[in-house]
Amino acid sequence: MSLISEQVSTSIDALTREFDVIAHNLANASTIGYKRRCNAFSKALEGQDPQSYSPGTFDLNSTFDFSQGSVGETGRPLDFALYGKGFFVIETPNGPLYTRNGTFLTNQNNQIVDSLGRIVAGQAGPITVPNSVSLLQLNVSSDGAISAGGTPIGKFRLVDFQDDQNKLVPVGESCYRMPDATMAPVPAGRLVVKQGYQEASNVKVIDELVDMILVSRLYEANMKSLSAEKEASSSLTSAAMG
Amino acid sequence: MLRAFSTAATGMTGQQMMVDVIANNLANVNTTGFKRSQINFQDLLYVTMSEPGTEVASGINSPSGTEIGSGVRAASTVKVFTLGELENTARPLDIAIAGDGFLQVTMPSGDLRYTRDGSLQLNANGELVTTSGYAIEPAISVPTDAVSVSIEKDGGVNVTDSSGTQSVVGTVQLTRFPNPSGLSNEGDNLLSETEASGTPTTGTPGENGFGTIQSGFLEKSNVQMVTELVNLITAQRAYEINSRAIRAGDDMLRTASQIVR
Repeated sequence: MSLISEQVSTSIDALTREFDVIAHNLANASTIGYKRRCNAFSKALEGQDPQSYSPGTFDLNSTFDFSQGSVGETGRPLDFALYGKGFFVIETPNGPLYTRNGTFLTNQNNQIVDSLGRIVAGQAGPITVPNSVSLLQLNVSSDGAISAGGTPIGKFRLVDFQDDQNKLVPVGESCYRMPDATMAPVPAGRLVVKQGYQEASNVKVIDELVDMILVSRLYEANMKSLSAEKEASSSLTSAAMG
Repeated sequence: MLRAFSTAATGMTGQQMMVDVIANNLANVNTTGFKRSQINFQDLLYVTMSEPGTEVASGINSPSGTEIGSGVRAASTVKVFTLGELENTARPLDIAIAGDGFLQVTMPSGDLRYTRDGSLQLNANGELVTTSGYAIEPAISVPTDAVSVSIEKDGGVNVTDSSGTQSVVGTVQLTRFPNPSGLSNEGDNLLSETEASGTPTTGTPGENGFGTIQSGFLEKSNVQMVTELVNLITAQRAYEINSRAIRAGDDMLRTASQIVR
């Protein structure tokens, strides 16, 4: 195989994966609390120094873009948006999960749960809304303290991973898990909880579309060089074979 | 083939469901006691190509992993139980619940259903019934010689007979659920209890967090026309853009297939 075909197949591979990432971001343009994946490959290609480029060593490194999504009002007493760095903690049998999707409900035992029915962690275990108050009387302050009809009933556990944020592994259902036990979350410092609001996905559709065009053009260009290579080698073969 | 095709297809299906939900909200903009629905999306599972923290060289761990997601799905639709506007109708048997709570309705089968539609009427036997003719629970009968009927803030039903004497013939009671979003929608403005909603608590209007009864008013739908229209535009555009992703993927595959011609 020639050097060109090797180079092209590496970059085609990475471009296809990047296209998948863009399609996933676009599919989640309406997912509450979704954080977009950055598409690092084509960006890195743009800035690549041709002198130092070596084929095959390039890796697609898709990190999260944890920037704030826009916050929109819903008026539901159990919708919460986070403003700032940090996560809600969801308790599951397989350990805690972390999410920025604050669309919560109450279950039949009056505990606050997420939309899949998993318990939302409070500072001291699950948060139970007493039967004697209605959900409309629930009040959550900006630091996550919850009171029902004036009586405090608990406080959301809010955590932050600081610089380790990018090591989180997405598990779907708008949740992340820690990659291993060595990482420890710290209580979130500068985080504001807004009741009656939802944090929209931070996917910027225009940017994704521009990236999509870039990726498909790069793909096309790679294919062009492959077919040029094919023509060159076939004319070489026909010359040699007479 | 490209994973992006199925990913974008999940996006299109999701947005289509969002349009369905918005259409139902808009269709019920004038339905008494209607509560708008809200659809919630979640991202689908990720294919992990490399975990963050894997060792790339001795002592060096990769700072982030490579995970590629596979799209979106609708996680749930929840009813948003915020209060609708109260509209003055001046009809004494129209009641609105100012605050939390549902009216209980007895079905012909004896099962209970719950509603916030308070446009009550009297049937041939003088019983208080809903527009569809189902009796409310506890049953309240108005004597046939009654000249006027009024319903108080605490749910008391006052009747004045032809001689001018007033008497209370019953009390409208309200019911509340731990998780109102878990109630199942039966149509006809009726909701029914499920495992998820929890067991109902019944009480007197105005007590223990229950709302009060406003006679002569009806609660309008809590659908905000403008919000729904904005959501509709967003959903429509997001649908379009997901279909664009499929087309771009198709173009890429075509370029690839042209090579081997």
